[in-house]
Amino acid sequence: MGNRLLSFLMASVALGGLAEAKTVIHVMHQGDPGWVSTYGEVAKRFEAANPDVDIELIYAPHDAYNEKFSAAVMSKQLPDVMELDAPFLANYVWSGYLQPIKPLIDQDVIDDMTESNVAQGTYPIDKDLYAVGLTDSSVVLYGNRKYLEAIDARIPKGVDDAWTREEFEGYLEKLSKLDGVKWPIDTFRGYGIKTEWITYAYGPILQSAGCDLIDRKTWKSVGTLDSDPCVDALTMMQKWVKNGWVVPQSSGTNQFFAEGHPAALALGGHWFYAEAAASMKDDIVVMPLPKFGPKGASPNGTWIWGITTASEHPDIAGKFLSFMLKDKLYRDYAREDSAYPGLKSFAADSPLYADGGPMAVAFEQASKTAIARPPHPAYPIITSAFMGAVDEIFNGGDVKAALTAAAEKIDEDIEENDGYPPFDEQQ
Amino acid sequence: MSDLAIPTLHTEAKRERSAIGSLRVVQTASILVIALVIVSPLFMLLIASLKDDRFQILADMGSFRAFWVSNPTLSNFAEVSNLSGELAFGRYLVNSLFILACTVGAGLIVNSMAGFVLAWGSLRGRALVLSLVIALYVIPQESIIMPLVIMVSRAGMTDTFAVQIVPWIASPLYIFLFYQFFAQLPKELFEAAEMDGASVFRIYRSIFLPLSLPALATVSILMGIESWNQYLWPILVTQTDYARPIAVGIATFFGQDSIYWDRAMAASVLMMIPILALYLAFQRWFVSSFIGSAVKG
Repeated sequence: MGNRLLSFLMASVALGGLAEAKTVIHVMHQGDPGWVSTYGEVAKRFEAANPDVDIELIYAPHDAYNEKFSAAVMSKQLPDVMELDAPFLANYVWSGYLQPIKPLIDQDVIDDMTESNVAQGTYPIDKDLYAVGLTDSSVVLYGNRKYLEAIDARIPKGVDDAWTREEFEGYLEKLSKLDGVKWPIDTFRGYGIKTEWITYAYGPILQSAGCDLIDRKTWKSVGTLDSDPCVDALTMMQKWVKNGWVVPQSSGTNQFFAEGHPAALALGGHWFYAEAAASMKDDIVVMPLPKFGPKGASPNGTWIWGITTASEHPDIAGKFLSFMLKDKLYRDYAREDSAYPGLKSFAADSPLYADGGPMAVAFEQASKTAIARPPHPAYPIITSAFMGAVDEIFNGGDVKAALTAAAEKIDEDIEENDGYPPFDEQQ
Repeated sequence: MSDLAIPTLHTEAKRERSAIGSLRVVQTASILVIALVIVSPLFMLLIASLKDDRFQILADMGSFRAFWVSNPTLSNFAEVSNLSGELAFGRYLVNSLFILACTVGAGLIVNSMAGFVLAWGSLRGRALVLSLVIALYVIPQESIIMPLVIMVSRAGMTDTFAVQIVPWIASPLYIFLFYQFFAQLPKELFEAAEMDGASVFRIYRSIFLPLSLPALATVSILMGIESWNQYLWPILVTQTDYARPIAVGIATFFGQDSIYWDRAMAASVLMMIPILALYLAFQRWFVSSFIGSAVKG
């Protein structure tokens, strides 16, 4: 009896040892139910192909992702693989959380990345790739065909053909007087000031006008964010709000396709197409972002995947990422979700963004006008300061004063961190 | 004179009655308007949960169509109640109920005991302890959340039910509420029981606790709502569906690019039911506790 018990215990220990032999890869991500399910299915398929690996998915809601990440850092529980918002990459790399990804990912995936996708995953100091994704993003100008025809507006055929500032403001004025139009444009103030929307969507308006959030050579914001072109650009936007041309924050994000179509234009993300087209069918027109100055500008960057420095199995983590990015069903779901292509092979397989497709102009912007948000470790401060300034300006505050205060706040943070070396040596 | 006075009195009484009647009509109308303002969002939530097209829900918002559904369907409820799959809302709901029951159950015992000892115990420096308890109440949860995360992760408590229950059992606010309630009860009760040889615990359990139903109900409701709505803490200390509550599950529907209004509404309705039931169960004592605190006999 005692021997049998001893044998049983030894067998249990041996089995336990076998179970422990599995390598666990923790993957932290965000996303809506469709994506959560898709990641789960990808993980199952990877585990089936690699029986010695266990993929443990850690979900964090989009609006609390940064808090979850901070908690993971502080409690030394960083996952092996993590999803991250592209503009925060510089901060994460500088802080030592991410490792170069090129040696860990299949070369054919690296070769398949679009320029914009490479840009969003690259750390500017060593020019190395730290993150990769299937998708990218952009913002376009959606228009209501009936309203545009009613005011005899010119419909641009491509990015080179975008409206000028004068044309755009002229159309806003005409639309404001048109029957049925309550607001000429929705700039999606309804997304609030706690998301990345303001910096992501309005930043290109500054860049198009000839300025920026920060000087990308000296990494100084004072003299750039509060320069005359920026003051002028945001005074223009403040005027739109004062004139009652912009959908207010309290009216949500559906005024372009809500009953009666109260908003005539919408400065919206590529994801907005699915919502708008479902309701408006052929009445929707997709146009490039207007030129507010000497050049056109559009945003890029989305949630991409990196491998953390805490990973004890970076090779397996890379293997999982390569598997996921090539997975057919994962790509099928992304395509159904109108995902904006970040890999050339995925773009070729996405009729929505292909030549002649309804969102072709959005994809054209990626190669012609896309400008990444400032790739600097101070980005979290840059974006929060700018969003605060825009909110103040939209609520009637002094434009110059608000931008100067934001610029000073950004520079203060950079100074407090000794210029975030080696960024201070870039000048 | 008297002949004239009688009709005059009648007329005045009539006028007074009609004035009172008018006042009642205005009062009733006001109450109805306020009730409508309070109930309409809940009604809109319920109606939206019966629509199967999230884009339609979004398009209907801001118009009267938000209060009408032509083809009601329970498909959203079926989807969110799915007990298996990647998004096990049934599991989240059970988790939330378990966390609520444990937190409220343990919270009532711990906080009422602490309140009783502060009110009637022979503890030295009671006033100082009470001041410290009140002082603790002003510390916002957000300021201690990260140190707490580090503590529980070092203790190996992450991704458990305990980590969502234990830190929130004792609360300065509820200790103070119980202290206030017990302190109002007549001194003679305590002294008589003490003379009969009852221990402090016996006095608390057999005499004071049965008398504190209004306080127990109030704390149950407030603690229940607090536990039910916990959002950031569970996100920080749980990793998988094993112990996650429904508030985190609902957040899944609010993606970076789009919001799944149909399922979010259905999940919100499901989330509302238990807390509404808790309120209705304790409503009588909850209201009486407020009346009791306002009216001194």
